[in-house]
Amino acid sequence: MAQHQVNYTQDGGLPVALTSVDKVINWGRSNSLWAMTYGLACCGIEMMASGASRYDFDRFGTIFRASPRQSDLMIVAGTLTKKHAEFIKRLYDQMAEPRWVISMGSCANTGGMFNTYATVQGVDRIIPVDLYLPGCAPRPETLQYAVMMLQKKIRAEKAGRAQRPKRLV
Amino acid sequence: MRKYVPKDDVQKKAYYTDRFWVAPQVAKSPVETDAVFAADLEAIKAKCEVLDAYIQVDQLVVLINPNDNFTVAQILKEECGYNQLSECSAIDWLAKQKQFEVFYQFLSMSKRKRMRVKCFIDKEQAVESLNPLYRSADWAEREMYDMFGVKVNNHPYMKRILMPDDWVGHPLLKTYPLQGDEAASWYEVDRIYGKEARDIIGPENRESAVVDRYDTERFGRLGHEVARGSEFDENQPVTPLAYQEEGGVFIVKKFQEDGAVTITDRKR
Amino acid sequence: MQQPNRLRPFFENISFDRKDNEMVINFGPQHPSAHGQLRLILHLQQEQITKAHPDIGYLHRGMEKMAENMIYNEFMPTTDRMDYIASSSNNYGFALAVEKLIGLQVPRRAKVIRMMLLEINRLMSHLFWLATTALDIGAMTVFLYAFREREYLMDIIEDYCGARLTHSSIRIGGVPLDIPDNFIHDLKAFLDKFPQDLKDYEDLLDSNRIWKMRMENVGVISKEMAQSWGCSGVMLRASGVNWDIRKEEPYELYDEIEFDVPVSEKGDNYARYKLYMAEMRETSKILYQTIKMYEGTVKENQTELMAHAPQYISAPKIDIMTQNYSLMQHFVLVTQGMRPPVGEVYIATESPKGELGFYINSQGGPYPYRLKVRAPSFWHTGILTDLLPGSMIPDVVSIIGTTNIVFGEVDR
Ligand code: SF4
Repeated sequence: MAQHQVNYTQDGGLPVALTSVDKVINWGRSNSLWAMTYGLACCGIEMMASGASRYDFDRFGTIFRASPRQSDLMIVAGTLTKKHAEFIKRLYDQMAEPRWVISMGSCANTGGMFNTYATVQGVDRIIPVDLYLPGCAPRPETLQYAVMMLQKKIRAEKAGRAQRPKRLV
Repeated sequence: MRKYVPKDDVQKKAYYTDRFWVAPQVAKSPVETDAVFAADLEAIKAKCEVLDAYIQVDQLVVLINPNDNFTVAQILKEECGYNQLSECSAIDWLAKQKQFEVFYQFLSMSKRKRMRVKCFIDKEQAVESLNPLYRSADWAEREMYDMFGVKVNNHPYMKRILMPDDWVGHPLLKTYPLQGDEAASWYEVDRIYGKEARDIIGPENRESAVVDRYDTERFGRLGHEVARGSEFDENQPVTPLAYQEEGGVFIVKKFQEDGAVTITDRKR
Repeated sequence: MQQPNRLRPFFENISFDRKDNEMVINFGPQHPSAHGQLRLILHLQQEQITKAHPDIGYLHRGMEKMAENMIYNEFMPTTDRMDYIASSSNNYGFALAVEKLIGLQVPRRAKVIRMMLLEINRLMSHLFWLATTALDIGAMTVFLYAFREREYLMDIIEDYCGARLTHSSIRIGGVPLDIPDNFIHDLKAFLDKFPQDLKDYEDLLDSNRIWKMRMENVGVISKEMAQSWGCSGVMLRASGVNWDIRKEEPYELYDEIEFDVPVSEKGDNYARYKLYMAEMRETSKILYQTIKMYEGTVKENQTELMAHAPQYISAPKIDIMTQNYSLMQHFVLVTQGMRPPVGEVYIATESPKGELGFYINSQGGPYPYRLKVRAPSFWHTGILTDLLPGSMIPDVVSIIGTTNIVFGEVDR
């Protein structure tokens, strides 16, 4: 017969179990990051290369999906031009939460070498970015590293709550 | 101190001057030196006025009146065997002589020769479309219109091609700044969020200093990770660069560096 | 605009018109098999396309404007980003145009190295084409195989210039470096293995019913249409025009090399696929010969890599480091840039996609007054306007695949 009865719903609830749920959910999220194919320019080719035979992205649970509705991760690989900007916003809005964005390459980070009238100077003007990946073009290894860092970031997040609003520069 | 000279408009004027330097010319040879080109020139001369003609870097260059461009192209295609229009565009000479130069680059596969037809047009003047002769003129002329604002008569689908339809200005004009004018720099913000959002989003910032490493609410730095929102001074704590956190990750096996194999054989 | 309600939901990409049963759909600009950022507005009668409007410019980055604000050498890395699948061919096209403008003679060894790089790039580009087209049509295995071989080639290029994708491996007046020690060995090892790989792909594809059904008699381009639209490269040769700039207007040392130009009369997708495969075989033939030529230059001790023209080209590094005058010259060339003579030039080279031409108008200043890139893909995209009407929706993907367009080049 139990001496003390713990009222789980009142005492802040299941401390141990909750962290485990967090962990389980985060484990699931971080190890099945389905990425949306968002190859815009040259970096998109390196993104394809990291999905192809030698670099084999599937090992990280990252499978490229063509539909925003099925993907958690948007890898913006390449130059975002002003003409294209509205589409990236629309596609980002179509992705289901939780969602993450990796900005791959200098062009996506800051406009890179294209400091011209036609280029958006950094995708973070349009959509919030979680991880900036420098390089022109970043090698596939770097993209893999970026995905691993993103996994680390996801593991540190609280799983239960809705994602906090993200920053737009 | 030396006087400051603005260097942003390099196109208009080089910031240094070289008083003794005289620009050399790329050699031009008379058309008679090449029998094939001479015959082509005769064919054009029979019907149209030729203002100038010479051979430069193995290619015939013919200067004609802008009204003759269709006739000349017709002669070239039907009589002289120039079966491809490989390029067509314009050059902005507005600052110098208030004119555009329009050039057409032709290729004859049977003769293995290339030639260029040029004409000068005034600012508001339109040229005749070569679309009925060469389909490639369709897109080339659209691009010319988009980039320079040169109008083309009788074009099937005169519309901007590279820039969006609601773009302001023609980018390749020498008066158009490289970084874009006011409308260009706000284009995507206006388009997506509306003009009201300009204040919130702010102007384009091309400086890397926009990333503030002390702002832990918004940025994290690899190798120097701290809790969100915490404060620190210059002595940033150094955290190890690792794929996984201290203490391992739930279910995922920890990467053992000494157990790793380096593959040297390419075949594997 | 449609009034959306629960019974008639709002489809943003589709508009229904009941009267004549025509449907307008939007394809792209972010479509997985559009090979970049192509947008097509397609008018459909049931499954058949009646009108197609390719909409480009989603990757327009203002390169021609940039060129007008840069010294000539500065523009070289930007050319990489045009046809980013075969960067060296763009570098080369630009370098050749400037060399013709100032009338430079490039040393033989540099020419040989350039040819090697160009042909390796051609292989890379064709392999990439094969991989992506096969993926679009559903042959995933070929994608993985072709990328595997492409990675070897990238390794070889990386040994030479240190970059995988954006090479900048060619300079105006020559090449920056001699090839590294293991280069020839690796290249030979690759070339010896390569015919077997090609055979593997062909075994997977040639007798594949799906592949044949989606390729044969689809997207037929007639000879007149190809010429009128300014097609070049494989697109032109598949339609029965024997025109390869390497053969007809030889540049570098292509006139010393034996190779065939595969031509087909059919003009459909399958013919283009066959030509790409045949061209890869020819390219490996060329590469074997360039290896021989390179060994020849080693034997004759021709070590020059850059043209000698102090007015335009910096002296070799060893001179810059040891001789004062060379250092001064180098300093002026780097800070102010070379100033080519006044004049204009249009030079076409055979890039993997087709005729890549550079038009440069120089007014004697350190910046080009006007630079126009004649990119083959631009016209190969344009031809879709006339090519797509009459075909079915699924054919769109295979037609776009075989036109081998790269959007860095189309939009520049
Ligand atoms: S960062 Fe470099 S490689 Fe990537 S898209 Fe931009 S220009 Fe191309």
